[in-house]
Parts: sequence; C-alpha cells; structure tokens
Amino acid sequence: MPPASSKIVCPHCGEQMNHHAEKIVYSTGRLPGEVAGPDRDVVPRVTLEEFHSCPNCGQTESRRVESTDSGSGLP
Amino acid sequence: MDKDDPLFIPVLLGTVRMGRMSANAARLVVQELEKQAGVQTELIDIAQMPLPTHDAGEAVKNSTYSAKMQRADGLVVVAPEYNHGYSGLLKHVLDSCLKEYIHKAVGIVGVSAGPFGGTRVIQNLLPVMRELGLVAIFWDVNFSNVQNVFTPEGVLREPAFIPRIGKFLKELIWMSKTLRHGRREITLG
Repeated sequence: MPPASSKIVCPHCGEQMNHHAEKIVYSTGRLPGEVAGPDRDVVPRVTLEEFHSCPNCGQTESRRVESTDSGSGLP
Repeated sequence: MDKDDPLFIPVLLGTVRMGRMSANAARLVVQELEKQAGVQTELIDIAQMPLPTHDAGEAVKNSTYSAKMQRADGLVVVAPEYNHGYSGLLKHVLDSCLKEYIHKAVGIVGVSAGPFGGTRVIQNLLPVMRELGLVAIFWDVNFSNVQNVFTPEGVLREPAFIPRIGKFLKELIWMSKTLRHGRREITLG
C-alpha cells in the first residue's frame, strides 16, 4: 500500500490530485482463509479511505488503507 | 476545468411508485435550476435505472449514475415520505456510490400526501447524507398535500413555491461552489 501521504495522479488528466477527506469504513467481510470459531469472532475489517479531487478536471478518486485490528491503530 | 465552469447539480427523483406525485415536484425543481446562471442540471429518475436486488452497496454501482455523481458539484434529492420514511429503492441507489459524493452539497425536497410536507423523511435522510459525505444545506422545500399543489397535467397551482425554491437553490448553489473550491484546493491536514 502506498504511504497515505503520497499524492495521487489524476487518471483522467494526469494532474496531481488534492487529498481533501478521509473516512473510516467498516466491513464484515472476512479475509481469505479467515473463519470464525466457536470461541472467536471474525475481526471486523476497518478501512481508512482517502478521497482525492483533481483541481484541473474535477475527477474524484479514493484510496484505502486497511487494518484488521479494531481500529486502535488508526489515527 | 476552469473554476468558472458551470456547476452541475442534478435532481434525483427518489421513487419508482406508479402515479408518483413527486415527479411533478422534481420537474419543477429542474425547471427552476435551469433558470440559474452558471448551472447545468438534469433529472435522474431512479425508475429509469436498473436496480438489481441480488446484491447491494457499491457492488451494484451503475456506471451512468456513478459518472453523473462524479461530475456533480451538488445534488437535489426529491424524497416522498412513505410510512414516515424514505423509499428503500432510493437508499439502494444512494448506497451504490461513496467517493462520488464526498464533500458535495445536497438539498432535500420533501413530498407528502399529508400536511407535513415530508418533514419526517427529510429528518430521516440527514444522517444518511452525512454518512455518505454529502453536506446538507439548511434550506428545505416541503410539498405538503402534494395532490393539490399540481394540476392533473402537472402544472403548478401555487406560485408561492417559486420564491421558496429560489431561496433553497441560492443556498445550494453557494454551498456547491464553496465545496468545489474546497475539494480542489484545500488539502486535508
């Protein structure tokens, strides 16, 4: 995963995009091979999604940073 | 894209019900938006969209709808109130996108057959808008007793709605311009 501080280049026009928002997204989806046992819940997947907008053409893009912990490692 | 390029503010008609009176309200808002300088609009009718029900969320993202939301600077949601809530199909459509909405303006038009003009549906939608990253303006438009507001041919009977819609759109346009600037020029952190 690219570092969260790195810029995204607009796939539409090639301009450097502006990182203007971040949001936490929770998912119940399991990782490959992960199973829930009688004494173990599936760990919720916590994703920080970054949102970028192009100052030239207005294109929006997003990028995810994932963590399998309960979110304590995220800022 | 120049900062003076027209804003794109589509109007989302949030019901598929046969005989829906909300369609008249949505067309009226489109008509008033078309009069605004520097604004482009169009009606997005969820009844004209494919609405698969084998899955939900971004898994059922429609490329045409996504492209319009991508392009949009703001959005008007015309929401009829059904049993004190919003249409499930409206939610199904809204949930199909996320990045397309972040830091964009939204104004909600409530529609009801009763006297409260969709006040409840507007209040119910606000947390959804917030979670989708849409920034709700503090003006609403309420079409109460909607069956009496338009003729059977869809012509507005009450001209008082025009200045009300005008105030609503003025604020929506301001917020759309402001957030467009923010998305493009103001970096987080």
